[in-house]
Amino acid sequence: MNEHVKPVYLEEKLDEIRADGHLAYRSKSLPTWCPGCGYFAMQEGLTIALNRLGIRNEDAVVVSGIGCSSRFPFFVNTYGFHTLHGRTLPVATGVKTANDALTVVAIGGDGDGFAIGGGHIPHAARRNVDMTYMVFDNGIYGLTKGQTSPTTAVGFRSKTTPYANEDQPLHPLMMLLAYRASWVGQAYAGRPHHLADMMEQAIAHRGFSYLHILSPCVTFDKTDRTYANLNMQVQDLPDDHDPTDLMAAMAQAAAHEIPALGLFYREERPTLTDVMNDTAERARNAPAPAE
Amino acid sequence: MADPLHHVIIGSGSAGFGAAATLRENDPDCRISMITMDSLPFYNRYDLPRIFRGCTDWHELLAVPPAYYSENRITLRRHNKVVDVDGKTQQIRLAHQEVIHFDSLLVCAGGRAYLPETLIDSAPLMHGFGSYEAAMRLYRDLPENGHAVMIGGDMIGIDLALTLLDTGRRVTLVTNAQTFWPHEPDDELRAQLLQALARRGIEVVQDARPATVTTPEGAERGRVVAFEDGTTMTADVVIPSCGLVPMVEFMLNAGVDIERGLLVTPELGTTHPHIWAAGDVCQIWNDEEKAYKFYHGWKNVRVMGELAARNIKGAHEIFDVKVEDRIEVDDQGNIHSTFWTH
Amino acid sequence: MAKSRNGTDIQFAIIGSAGDGTIAAGDIMKRAAALMGYKVIAFDIYPPEIRGFGKCISRIRISSQQTYSLKHKSDVLISLNDSHAIAHVGEVRDFGAVLFEDSPIAAIPEGGHISAHIAAAQVPYGFANRRICEEATGKARSRNIVALGYAAGLFDIPAEIFHEIIAQKFAKKPQAVTDDNIRAFDAGFAAGKATFKLDDVRVGMPQQVANGKDAVMMTGNGAVARGFLEAGIDTYFGYPITPATSIMERLAAALPRAGGRFLQTEDEIAAISATLGAGYAGARAATATSGPGLALMTEMMGLGVMAEVPFVVVVSQRGGPSTGLPTKTEQSDLNLAVFGGSGDARRIVLAPTNVEGCYRCAGMAFEIAEKYQTPVIVLIDLYLSNRFETVIPPRENVFAPKPRIKPELPENQPYRRFALTDDGISPRALPGDEGHMHTVTGLEHNELGRPSDALHQQMNAKRHDKLTSATRYPGLTTCKRFGDEGRVKVGILGWGSTFGEILETMYAAQDEGISCAAMKVVMLSPLPEERINEFFDDCDHILVPELNHEGQFANLVSGALGRPVVRLNRTTGAPMMVDEILAEVRRLAQTGIGEGTHSPVQQQGATT
Ligand SMILES: Cc1cc2nc3c(=O)[nH]c(=O)nc-3n(C[C@H](O)[C@H](O)[C@H](O)COP(=O)(O)OP(=O)(O)OC[C@H]3O[C@@H](n4cnc5c(N)ncnc54)[C@H](O)[C@@H]3O)c2cc1C
Ligand SMILES: Cc1ncc(C[n+]2csc(CCOP(=O)(O)OP(=O)(O)O)c2C)c(N)n1
Ligand code: SF4
Ligand SMILES: [Mg+2]
Repeated sequence: MNEHVKPVYLEEKLDEIRADGHLAYRSKSLPTWCPGCGYFAMQEGLTIALNRLGIRNEDAVVVSGIGCSSRFPFFVNTYGFHTLHGRTLPVATGVKTANDALTVVAIGGDGDGFAIGGGHIPHAARRNVDMTYMVFDNGIYGLTKGQTSPTTAVGFRSKTTPYANEDQPLHPLMMLLAYRASWVGQAYAGRPHHLADMMEQAIAHRGFSYLHILSPCVTFDKTDRTYANLNMQVQDLPDDHDPTDLMAAMAQAAAHEIPALGLFYREERPTLTDVMNDTAERARNAPAPAE
Repeated sequence: MADPLHHVIIGSGSAGFGAAATLRENDPDCRISMITMDSLPFYNRYDLPRIFRGCTDWHELLAVPPAYYSENRITLRRHNKVVDVDGKTQQIRLAHQEVIHFDSLLVCAGGRAYLPETLIDSAPLMHGFGSYEAAMRLYRDLPENGHAVMIGGDMIGIDLALTLLDTGRRVTLVTNAQTFWPHEPDDELRAQLLQALARRGIEVVQDARPATVTTPEGAERGRVVAFEDGTTMTADVVIPSCGLVPMVEFMLNAGVDIERGLLVTPELGTTHPHIWAAGDVCQIWNDEEKAYKFYHGWKNVRVMGELAARNIKGAHEIFDVKVEDRIEVDDQGNIHSTFWTH
Repeated sequence: MAKSRNGTDIQFAIIGSAGDGTIAAGDIMKRAAALMGYKVIAFDIYPPEIRGFGKCISRIRISSQQTYSLKHKSDVLISLNDSHAIAHVGEVRDFGAVLFEDSPIAAIPEGGHISAHIAAAQVPYGFANRRICEEATGKARSRNIVALGYAAGLFDIPAEIFHEIIAQKFAKKPQAVTDDNIRAFDAGFAAGKATFKLDDVRVGMPQQVANGKDAVMMTGNGAVARGFLEAGIDTYFGYPITPATSIMERLAAALPRAGGRFLQTEDEIAAISATLGAGYAGARAATATSGPGLALMTEMMGLGVMAEVPFVVVVSQRGGPSTGLPTKTEQSDLNLAVFGGSGDARRIVLAPTNVEGCYRCAGMAFEIAEKYQTPVIVLIDLYLSNRFETVIPPRENVFAPKPRIKPELPENQPYRRFALTDDGISPRALPGDEGHMHTVTGLEHNELGRPSDALHQQMNAKRHDKLTSATRYPGLTTCKRFGDEGRVKVGILGWGSTFGEILETMYAAQDEGISCAAMKVVMLSPLPEERINEFFDDCDHILVPELNHEGQFANLVSGALGRPVVRLNRTTGAPMMVDEILAEVRRLAQTGIGEGTHSPVQQQGATT
């Protein structure tokens, strides 16, 4: 980033920001990400979203796995749990189950979510755990310094695919739609306002909301998922897309190599908490179980 | 190696046990199965009166320790009732429908207590004495100074009656045709014998024909014997003692000759080449008398079992124990039988 | 049984196939015995395959005085199916009884009837079970109940006791079912009563009827579930695995009624992750698994230690490694429970030795986890999980309620979640507590919880040392000595389910005049070293019997104390046999340390 621009940028922006109040959601720790990393936009977006939703700091819990992206909780002034690689969702499920009053946001990278943690996603989604899961997809393992991930494009050369990746990358949006996540959307680090809006909607949704966020790793991907490339490729969902139509959502997700930004699908259905409360109700009316 | 021969013995009395032990001595490899309705391993039935002398624990009555059977690889199958023997297929069928093949079969099924027809309806209220369990029931129901009525008085019963007397009980003997069975004393000897019993303290009642045995009205214990002449007698127990009849019902399909008992040659073979018999169940051809004869008494029986076993294993020995069938009263007034001894 | 403990002590083995109602008969028998006021220890064995007619065994030891394990020999075998029972005739002691079906059904091949296999020293009781049953009920289904009735009649157990239990057992079925079964029972009872008894088994009513009505029959797993519930468990996340599953199944039924939350997760990793998440959020959270599940959970155990999150993991061991012997017992996950995972990750491991211990340890595990802010493992095994014992539960809730203390916030200072304190225990705030926002992490961190390597050594020491006082946690037996006081020839040191056999051995050895003591160690981590050391001081020889190949507990103790032990290891899938331990005790009492001692430490010198 250009040294000369910085003070000017800060001067202009900070007043705006302070007036808005979302700075209260930043922690005192400064992010450790590489300058230019897409993740900065996520920090900004989430603090704005929490602020807009009026969620008190102590009522939010950000749970993450391991990865550059998963460092996130340290940089927001809420409760945070930086757990293990891939275990974001089940830990978050436990937190939410123990205390319904908390707003739970689960955050992880593409490797954390779709490689090591891939087994948990369908279950959090189908159970409709009332939380928001955001995957920061940079198509690479950032923290371990640039290995191939499950969303790495075919042909990409990483340190573990020096002769170019030949594996078909998986398609997170199609998967989440198939798993019946009750809210599925996509955002892009390079469109911060849209990103903040999407985060706000996702958190406001009652049920399991999945927000896929395209984000460049400026350090380990200089050729594929760069701002320059993404800026050219991304587009919005058509205005007439009906987010309650699962088949239309599927079709949209499949329509472009880089799927469009926006809300693909949304449905209202009982959350895990609702189901548990209902079970409790029925259990209390049933005869006592045998010793 | 060919399968070892399977020698099956029906009965675990003196004859059966003696046979099993002898088979093992003669052949270390064969399979031996001893099938019995009894619930205890072999014990000498003549020891049963000892119960009244305080020997109530069956362990003490056993002729050999239980380990004998496992050590000698004798399969002892208790609570097994043979219901059929098929001579053609060489199979026996048990009441629970198990089928067992035999290479040789030795029948030592002994005899069951005979009961005159008039008393059959009263059987449930009478006390048998043929097994440990029966003897223990008798012991339980007959108090130390109690009164036993014995009907008949075969040699088994007389032995018991004397023991009961010696242990403080009162015994009334109601005689009949089977008194002193298996001996058949003439009238004179019979009178002497009865006198001897009376001198020992047994109350002898002759020419009385018991009609029914009932329980006294309103009482939980005790028995009432009603006689045909209308008289009655009360007692704690009524013991039928009218000799034994051979157990042969299950042998009807076996293809062997049966008269009262199983008919066997002096070598104890039946008319079936693989079936033998020994003990109280069989009648042995007596060439001098040209008749099939019973030879009772544990000594005879034991000899028969052992001899049959040796013959099964290929010997050709002949049963020629000619113990005289004699019973007498000595100077002290004690009764002696030539073969009915301890 | 030891002479020093007299009175009734009878073990029944009921054996049949899955369709014969074997386990149900065993269940009625054990509940009847408990109602009579007997102490009961029982263990059921099911076939590994779910369908078909696999072998079922219900072994029930009933005694007027407390006993500690099943006996190696049974006094009575009841065969409901000879094809399965035949293999077990040998377990009946001399002059014990074998009860079997006598009435014809279909042709039986030679040797297929149990009567062909009963030893001369054992007492056979054939009875026409099927016929009796059909005559009494018009059907043959209640043969298991006829057999119970026959046994009750034979062994002089009052019929009314069984009537009560049968009525309870079938309470949810139509009345006709209860009536049929009572009729079946009575018919069997009459037959048994009429049978001349030849064995020397005596039951009758116990002399002092001790709390028959208060006693509850529980399995180890049932006791764990009950302990959890009474301690106010909030969440249970779990994944089915033998032999822990029945804990989960009980909680699935009971927890929603009790205001808690239950979820079957997609795997063990999710189960422990969610448990940790819930524990972090302030819930009393627990899960249960077996060795393979614990192997998957170890990474999350480490996070629990590092992030200082309280939660409870019950581990019921089965034969291993890998999928191993799912339906056989073993004590080979001690290493995994105590040490498993990366780094220095001391945690609390409790290994109860009996069913009541399962109840107490499971219930207290929460408060201990909360006090020390760390995961607690309750380590049991299949034998303990599934065995029944009579327990007289306390009338009042004995478990401490969840403390809810929001830490004070020192003025003008940030909240230090991991403050280094004297006792190593830091103030813990929960999500929702105003002003205490912080992030916890599996990375090494500073007092604030921020990632930092600087304090690694101090933090390691804190996490380790804070647990030491747990060895004297009030109200919890962490280790206990039994038997002769003062100096003894042989000390038997044990843990977990095997301690039952150890106690039985100790009493038997005492009866033989061998000076003998035993010590059970319930807290395996941290180890109550001081008291174990004192025990070593008192014993000429220390024998450590356990159900694993390498002597994992022996290694643990021997390593911690630097003192040699004599090992006795078995991995037959079955509990250790008292006779085997006793033989070793005798040998040690006579000769001193000799063959059979594999401890490398032992090479260093004499035992004392
Ligand atoms: C109470 C008593 C006292 C006696 N006292 C004397 C005495 O003092 N002196 C003396 O010399 N003799 C005495 N005897 C007689 C002598 O003991 C008998 O001659 C002898 O017992 C006969 O032996 P055994 O082996 O032929 O038959 P038993 O001993 O009668 O045995 C018959 C066996 O066959 C079995 N059996 C029968 N039918 C079947 C079947 N269908 N299936 C399976 N098993 C079957 C029975 O269970 C039994 O085991 C006494 C007998 C009794 C009963
Ligand atoms: C069990 C385990 N395996 C491997 C690692 C090493 N590891 C840390 S982060 C990571 C991948 C991170 O990639 P991603 O989830 O995409 O996050 P990013 O850094 O790209 O944000 C790996 C393999 C670990 N911490 N734990
Ligand atoms: S390595 Fe890549 S993902 Fe990680 S912080 Fe740097 S730019 Fe971002
Ligand atoms: Mg990544």
